[in-house]
Amino acid sequence: MQPIVECKDLTHYYGNRCIYENLNFTIPKGRILGLLGKNGTGKTTTINILNGYLKPRSGECLMFGEKSGNLSPATKQKVGLLIEGHVQYAFMNISEIERFYSAFYPNWRKEAYYELMDLLKIAPKQKISRMSCGQRSQVALGLILAQDPELLILDDFSMGLDPGYRMLFVDYLSEYAKSRGKTVFVTSHIIQDMERLIDDCLIMDYGSIVLQKPVDELLTNFQRYRFKCDKPEVLKDFKEMKNPVTINGNTEVYSLCSGPELQALMKQQGLSIDGLKEERLSLEEAFIGLTGKY
Amino acid sequence: MNRALLFKEYKKTKWFILGIILAGIALHTYTFLKLGRSFRFAGMEHLWDVIINRDQFMFRDLKYFPLAAGVCLGVAQFVPEVIQKRIKLTLHLPLSERKTIMLMVGYGQLLLLGFFLLHILCAVVFSSFHFPYEFILSFLQTVAPWYMAGLLAHSMIAMICIEPTWKVRVFNILVMIGTIKMCYITDFPGAYGIVSCLLAIVVLYVLPFTFYSVYRFKIGEQD
Repeated sequence: MQPIVECKDLTHYYGNRCIYENLNFTIPKGRILGLLGKNGTGKTTTINILNGYLKPRSGECLMFGEKSGNLSPATKQKVGLLIEGHVQYAFMNISEIERFYSAFYPNWRKEAYYELMDLLKIAPKQKISRMSCGQRSQVALGLILAQDPELLILDDFSMGLDPGYRMLFVDYLSEYAKSRGKTVFVTSHIIQDMERLIDDCLIMDYGSIVLQKPVDELLTNFQRYRFKCDKPEVLKDFKEMKNPVTINGNTEVYSLCSGPELQALMKQQGLSIDGLKEERLSLEEAFIGLTGKY
Repeated sequence: MNRALLFKEYKKTKWFILGIILAGIALHTYTFLKLGRSFRFAGMEHLWDVIINRDQFMFRDLKYFPLAAGVCLGVAQFVPEVIQKRIKLTLHLPLSERKTIMLMVGYGQLLLLGFFLLHILCAVVFSSFHFPYEFILSFLQTVAPWYMAGLLAHSMIAMICIEPTWKVRVFNILVMIGTIKMCYITDFPGAYGIVSCLLAIVVLYVLPFTFYSVYRFKIGEQD
């Protein structure tokens, strides 16, 4: 089956600065893919390319088989877009904006929008510009849910939201996407929220993809190890060990290897370790483990 | 869909439209009162002499009003759209980008055109009570470039706002100033004559330039 989103050999530069080279990924139907990366690694660049607001230096991005820079109106109808900062037509009130969008989408679900609006406890005539950031996020989400798109693209949905609104957003989105088999591509800098939402993660570092895996698989296999080592300075040469740090003789590394595999590997290299402890990770810790703390 | 998009433009600009209408009414009221006073105090004979023999134009106060109206409407439509990044939402609506932009620019152009025609008609009706046909023709030839400047300013502001880079934006501003200058070369009564029709072609000619700005915005041109 053709994936909903397919990015092939994407390369992009801003001037001479390489954002990434030969980036490849796909999003199959019904999966929720989270794009994780530190600031400046190219998350928004990827979203812009995907939405057709940036032409990559080379490579192409297909959505529903069409080039993202030149989507037909029928394909745009299938894509729900949340722009960073929950941008909307703030000069309208909640009923005007609902009527406005309903004209563009044949499967419009008015009740899905008003279900969320009822939680806001605001007057129907209140303009969006006079709402808080959290309330605006609910309006933007409500509009996307009412649109009932096949693919949702959400750029940094948690930006500016307090924990309550973030949780509400994630709960609604997750329930909606999973119950209706929607495909979602999402970025957020708050990784705790992503852990509750996404099926697959795509972790980017400067210039490349570090890893693309289902979250369950990552959290099962990727672990943190703490131990004492006689020559910690050589650990950085092992490609199996990510971001080794030694403080006061206590070493911390992250790895996809199991404990015995790690011990065998170090023994093979003539290193002795003592007191090996294995720790399960949250997605946020796994992200730090893969990309480093700074 | 078209109606929804036009509704959006209306919501965005309604206070500006009201402002333009009120300013237009105030300007006409002032001009008519001033001319009426001249009729009464100086007499029609003297006024005719001033107009015909000394080539004075009685509606000079209208000169920059259409330009200001075009600029205000263009700014109201396109500046917040770009600054608040709503243009991305607008271009994502399930319409072809060309149609979306055509509807947005067309809304402003038709609104201005309708209002300008009404504004000119009021002046023509007022003048027809006091002046002969030749004066009215000369009046139309004199004010037509000013009103065209308003239409030009509106469509060129759309082009400037949507353009993503400052370098090209500044270049476009200079082009706009130069183009609008063509409408203000002289305010000698009737001086433009048939050239007014050529200016109308320029108004139509610059309209599609906005599509080029949209194209540059879409490919993500940056400074």
